[in-house]
Amino acid sequence: MSQRTAANHVRLGLFVLAGLACLVVTLFLLGRQQNLFSRSMTVQADFRNVSGLLTGNNVRLGGIPVGTVRRIQLVNDSTVRVTMNLNRDVQPFVRRNTVATIGTDGLVGNTIINLAAQPGAAPPVQPGDRLPGSNPVGIDEMLSTLNVSNRNLIGITQDLRQITRKLNGSDALWQLLGDQGLAADARRSLRSMATATARLDAAARDVQQLTGGVRRGRGVAGYLLTDTAFAGQLGHATRQLAGTSDTLAATLAGLKRQVQTKQGPLNTLLADTAFSRQLRQSMQHVEQGTAGFSRSMEALQHNVLVRGYLKRQQKKQARAALSARPGAQP
Amino acid sequence: MPNYPILAEAGGMAHFAGRFFRDGFRPRYEVSEWLYQCYVIGYQSLPLVGVTGFIMGIVLTLQSRPTMAQFGAESWIPAMVGLTIIREMGPIITALIFAGKIGSSIGAELGSMRVTEQIDAMEVSGTNPFKYLVVTRVLATTLMLPVLTLLADAIALYASYIGLNMRGVTTLALFVNNVLSRLAFGDVLPAFIKTFFFGFAVGLIGCYKGFYADKGTEGVGQAANSAVVVSSLVIFILDLVAVQLTGLLGLN
Amino acid sequence: MQPDPSLAPTPAAPPARLPVAPAEPVLMVEHVDKSFGDNHVLRDFSLALHRGENVVVLGKSGSGKSVLIKCIIGLLLPDAGRITVLGQDVTGLGHQQMDELRARVGFLFQSNALYDSMTVRENLLFPLRRHWLRHRRAEEDALVREVLDDVGLAHTATLMPAELSGGMRKRIALARTLILRPDIILYDEPTTGLDPVTSREISHLIRAVQQKYNASALIISHDMSCVRLTADRVALLLDGRCYADGRYEELAASADPRIHEFFA
Repeated sequence: MSQRTAANHVRLGLFVLAGLACLVVTLFLLGRQQNLFSRSMTVQADFRNVSGLLTGNNVRLGGIPVGTVRRIQLVNDSTVRVTMNLNRDVQPFVRRNTVATIGTDGLVGNTIINLAAQPGAAPPVQPGDRLPGSNPVGIDEMLSTLNVSNRNLIGITQDLRQITRKLNGSDALWQLLGDQGLAADARRSLRSMATATARLDAAARDVQQLTGGVRRGRGVAGYLLTDTAFAGQLGHATRQLAGTSDTLAATLAGLKRQVQTKQGPLNTLLADTAFSRQLRQSMQHVEQGTAGFSRSMEALQHNVLVRGYLKRQQKKQARAALSARPGAQP
Repeated sequence: MPNYPILAEAGGMAHFAGRFFRDGFRPRYEVSEWLYQCYVIGYQSLPLVGVTGFIMGIVLTLQSRPTMAQFGAESWIPAMVGLTIIREMGPIITALIFAGKIGSSIGAELGSMRVTEQIDAMEVSGTNPFKYLVVTRVLATTLMLPVLTLLADAIALYASYIGLNMRGVTTLALFVNNVLSRLAFGDVLPAFIKTFFFGFAVGLIGCYKGFYADKGTEGVGQAANSAVVVSSLVIFILDLVAVQLTGLLGLN
Repeated sequence: MQPDPSLAPTPAAPPARLPVAPAEPVLMVEHVDKSFGDNHVLRDFSLALHRGENVVVLGKSGSGKSVLIKCIIGLLLPDAGRITVLGQDVTGLGHQQMDELRARVGFLFQSNALYDSMTVRENLLFPLRRHWLRHRRAEEDALVREVLDDVGLAHTATLMPAELSGGMRKRIALARTLILRPDIILYDEPTTGLDPVTSREISHLIRAVQQKYNASALIISHDMSCVRLTADRVALLLDGRCYADGRYEELAASADPRIHEFFA
């Protein structure tokens, strides 16, 4: 009994106290985590399906644990009432229209209740209130959707299989694919196509140059085209021409009627030989007039302004024709 | 009647336990001897249990890291190691180490006292040796093993924290939060309560084997040996029972 | 009953022993049977021990001497018969009364049974731990010193039993029984395993204790020198019975070959 000194008792006491302190601290931290020691209030929410929610699971608001599930009870065959303990500190942030949903903590984690704030004002929740509950897309439903997708996929792959089988069985296709000459033809066609496109390209470049020149007002045509007033006058003239032709058509119809009925002035005119002679004279005058116009146009061609442009065009066309000839390829 | 040594042994132990409950709570109490046994059994086992716990924590952490890293779940190591230690490894490893150290020493001590007639001498000098030797020791093991387990858990968790920091940086606060986030009363309390039964089993079996040791020094060795073997086995059986019970109570 | 001075075991034969015969019996063993399975150790054994008397029970090894002494102290229960110690039947005593009775009966184990984990002082004080025997520390010190002086080992109080020699351990064990001032001391083979010199010292010590405390003693032995030195009366245990009963010299002179072989 010489070893049974007071020092040993002190050591034993320290040892036991240290062990109990570990236990008490752990239990206290766990209790605080589960809101055993903070003031709490209970609220309820109804769900159709709680997906394995257990008493003691967390309740989160904005991802932060604010309470725990206290009781889960069946109210009827399609309603499960969950009673939650919420920390009183969050009471101002949980409004009456907050929606409670069942969720999981991570992919394989615990089932939890998420409180989601909704837009719109509502008074803060009071103890005993019932929050609207909503069931999110559960994994079961996701799986059933996936099932439908799967079935569709099966149909698609079956069709695909039929198509490939047909393709495999088709001699024509395989001949086509195996034909060497066809490939040569195709290559030649492609080359022709290349030259054609090259020509087209050149032409397009010409047009571009032309339009570029026109846009910058080069040449008379450019002047004509860029002059908006002229365009307006042209429009006006066309409209007048259209009106004139309408009038002409009406006149002609009237004349035709007069000729058929042998009445009115036209008939007298047709019957009048003097009038027909005058008409012939008039036609001669018109002929002379158009000849004059033709001459004038020729003079225009030799005009300094336009001549250079037309020459360049001719040269280009000649060069393009040269390069497009198959043997001339480098 | 056929002779079943195992049944006889079990019956003897049950009777011994009954005697413990009959005699143990009747005055007079051997308080000073009990405190001394608590000191020897509890305090003096702490270094061994502490080292075991430390190594257990660090090894669990380092071993689980590669697998958890494969799943990209390294942040789950504290929670996983914490649960493993608190629920199972802490209690069972501590109890086994305890059985090895204390069960054998009680078996050998009481066995040699029996063999050298010291137990008879106590009886003759008017001291109830059952109370003086058995009740004090069984009570001490029953109460000290939970304390040892708690300390071993704490040391193992700290070692796990060190193990995590060997390959990365984790703050103590984050570690504690990670561990606590996955922990519930249902994890801590059953694990804590079952250690009382482990301690009781170690003490009772050690005392039984020693108290009824056969004559001779060989009997002492046998008592020490079978005390360790039987109490280790009983610890595992009790653990199984504890798991089933906590499952039935819905605490799992 | 007048002892022959020439046969007196010690030079200073105590006058206290001188005949007041027949003194009151302090220990009565009547028709005791005890068997372990088929082994009948004691059969109809009877013996009486009177106040101030040293009785040696002589027998071969394994003849049931230790069983007898354990029945007397209540460690074993006899199958039949009656054992009366200090007027109380030990077979019918409750735990509490048994403890109180045992406080008045010392028992010296063959193996000494010193508590290995305690010092000599703690060993000596252990029997005093019982609640009706609480003492203050000064009283405890005085008691320890006295019994250690009695056995001649005053300096050993702080030693552990493992540090003592065999003879010293025997003395300490005797001191532990003496500290309660018993009326009866039961010696279980007190000289077994000791060298002849130490053996003789222990025998003398048994005598001295008897003189000092006027205690009765029942001594189990097969060591004839011890028997000769300590016995007032010798009971011969043969085949589980008390085969012969008488003074040492009477038995030594017996012509019965079964008695004679012990004294040869």
